[in-house]
Amino acid sequence: MVGDRDTGDRYFEPQVETMPREQLRALQEERVLELVEYAYGNSPFYRELWDEHGVHPRDIRSLEDFRARVPFITKDMVRAYRARTGDPFGGLLCVPTEELTSVSSSSGTTGDPEFFAEIWEDAPPLVTAQVRDLWELGLRPGDRVLSPPGTFRNLMDPGYQALGAVVIEVDTWIGKMHEVVEALRTYRPAYIQMMYPQMVELEHLAEKVDLKEAFSSLKGASCAGQPLSRKMRERIRDDWGIDVYEYTSAADTGTAWECREHDGFHLWEDTVFAECIEVEEHGWRDVQESDLGELVATDLDNRAAPLIRYRSEDLVRLSRGRCGCGRTHARMWVAGRRGDETLVQGRSVVLRDIWNAVEDQPETVAGVFQIVRERREVDELRLRVGYDPELTGDVDALAGRLGEAVLERTGVKPVLDMRTEEDLLNTMTSVAKFPRVVKS
Amino acid sequence: MARADTLARAKELARPELAYLVRFPAADGMKDMELTWAELARDTKWVTERLRGHGLAAGQRALLTTSGFEGFWGHTVIGALRALRVPYGIAEAMGWDHRRTAVFHRELDPDVVIGLSAETLEGLSGSADIGEMFRSTSVVLARPAAVPVLRGAGVSACLMSAVGPALALECPERCGAHVNAAEWRVGERDGELVIAAGEGRRSRLAETPLGIAGRVETGKCACGSEDPRVLLAEAGPTSSSRS
Ligand SMILES: [Zn+2]
Ligand SMILES: [Zn+2]
Repeated sequence: MVGDRDTGDRYFEPQVETMPREQLRALQEERVLELVEYAYGNSPFYRELWDEHGVHPRDIRSLEDFRARVPFITKDMVRAYRARTGDPFGGLLCVPTEELTSVSSSSGTTGDPEFFAEIWEDAPPLVTAQVRDLWELGLRPGDRVLSPPGTFRNLMDPGYQALGAVVIEVDTWIGKMHEVVEALRTYRPAYIQMMYPQMVELEHLAEKVDLKEAFSSLKGASCAGQPLSRKMRERIRDDWGIDVYEYTSAADTGTAWECREHDGFHLWEDTVFAECIEVEEHGWRDVQESDLGELVATDLDNRAAPLIRYRSEDLVRLSRGRCGCGRTHARMWVAGRRGDETLVQGRSVVLRDIWNAVEDQPETVAGVFQIVRERREVDELRLRVGYDPELTGDVDALAGRLGEAVLERTGVKPVLDMRTEEDLLNTMTSVAKFPRVVKS
Repeated sequence: MARADTLARAKELARPELAYLVRFPAADGMKDMELTWAELARDTKWVTERLRGHGLAAGQRALLTTSGFEGFWGHTVIGALRALRVPYGIAEAMGWDHRRTAVFHRELDPDVVIGLSAETLEGLSGSADIGEMFRSTSVVLARPAAVPVLRGAGVSACLMSAVGPALALECPERCGAHVNAAEWRVGERDGELVIAAGEGRRSRLAETPLGIAGRVETGKCACGSEDPRVLLAEAGPTSSSRS
């Protein structure tokens, strides 16, 4: 049964993970003050920006000062610096390039990937900050894990191996789930990292293969890239017996994972200072704990190229209340991207409503769809939807039903472009993300 | 700091001797073999020496293209680059990720490119001149099918290839890719490569046909190494025919 393992040694670093909030805040303050000094002294981007805003480290003596005075940054600001100066790191780099260990990059779903400068000893930073999450999932020394699908955020193996796990080399990329199932049966791993398209692929295998049996050795599987729909999640948990842990980006400072409570994504607040705010025409304000706001993040553990008050464009709800797992680090729930909302002749259409309509049709239950648009404001809602050909007799009839369902949920009649799921997933240009909004 | 503390805590764990279970295609299907930390360290040392032989040194930059399931050699290459103090960028070796390789190439101007695949080259060739792109790169270590493409475009590429559970790396002489003789026995049977594990490997591997067309040169190489060299049919004829 899922989620009922012994919890005697639940925390990897108990003191850090369950640290009282006041202590955590004091730690963050100390790090933020050091960071401000360090970034001003070493990053041309921050020095220029803060000079423009009349901000100097000597004026920042508390977290309140930091929040009141240090300006936000956006991806576009870093891009503009990059374009103006030719510096591939957008002026964020605080050390000479020769001192870097490695450079990984973002998924690059909406343009050129952006670089992440990294300095490390035993394991790259992204996976290192996942060690606590993997421990929570149940991974222990001697357990086996399947190698993850991608390397664009660096080789993940050293992180798993730091935890004492043995990595089994299996090609887990899309189209290989048959082999993955074979490997699961042969090697009985405790953990596997998956992505949304693989879940879709498994859905197709489910009829021919006893997935519950194949996955029975897993303590857990992770899934990132985009939220799983409610139906997909139930299918994975109830029909395939997988305790699936979703995780998401912590505004490019690391990742945020679900714990075994599966109630929100934990940020590791000794690595990130998180703010949940609403930016207004003149200034900004904190949102209430139960309200949606934009996640703004500051790197507390990155001396290569720290992000400082970085506006992520992720719309989240943030809670600093203690989680059922006993951890004190904040949790967030992600509602979507600031830019995902589409205005169709002035009417607001959100992804979730389309998603619900799509997954209500049996032929498109996997929820593979995209909004096709040049701009946020459009005259018609163009949707590209992937269907399962084996379950689809009459594509036109499906399109008719789907069009009605979308109209009912959103108030807008969509223009549909029906493709097979495989066709649509094959247009992916990244391991990490199936883009929900595309230009063409 | 935070991550450093996590790794310090991790070092207190009783960890197994094994780092990897390496799976590799052999003539009669997939085989597997254990890889210990001690072996990984020896392999890393060997790769470090091979890359040093290519002139890699501090102050240079590398680009590594590799897949998630290639850690058994990717780990050693990364370890070698760290030892040589050469920062590396990393991109997928799969064809659809060619744009990432192009961006790294354009922005970081690497002196060394390791692991180029034919699929990546095919993707790149849609919008770039492969020759122009890599002719000025000091060291290009490419996968078998990519070697003839690069050489055809005037790039003096060297071969790198997984040979079963071993890694073969060509030296600047470009007359076959060396395999570490201290760890592996490579040979040829009827025009195909075979491999066996050396005495020092924990996992036994008796002579195993790999289904890879090629031959083996055993004489001392002009680079000074006594390690045997594999010549793969897929990589085309060698540019120099020293043997
Ligand atoms: Zn929790
Ligand atoms: Zn040689």
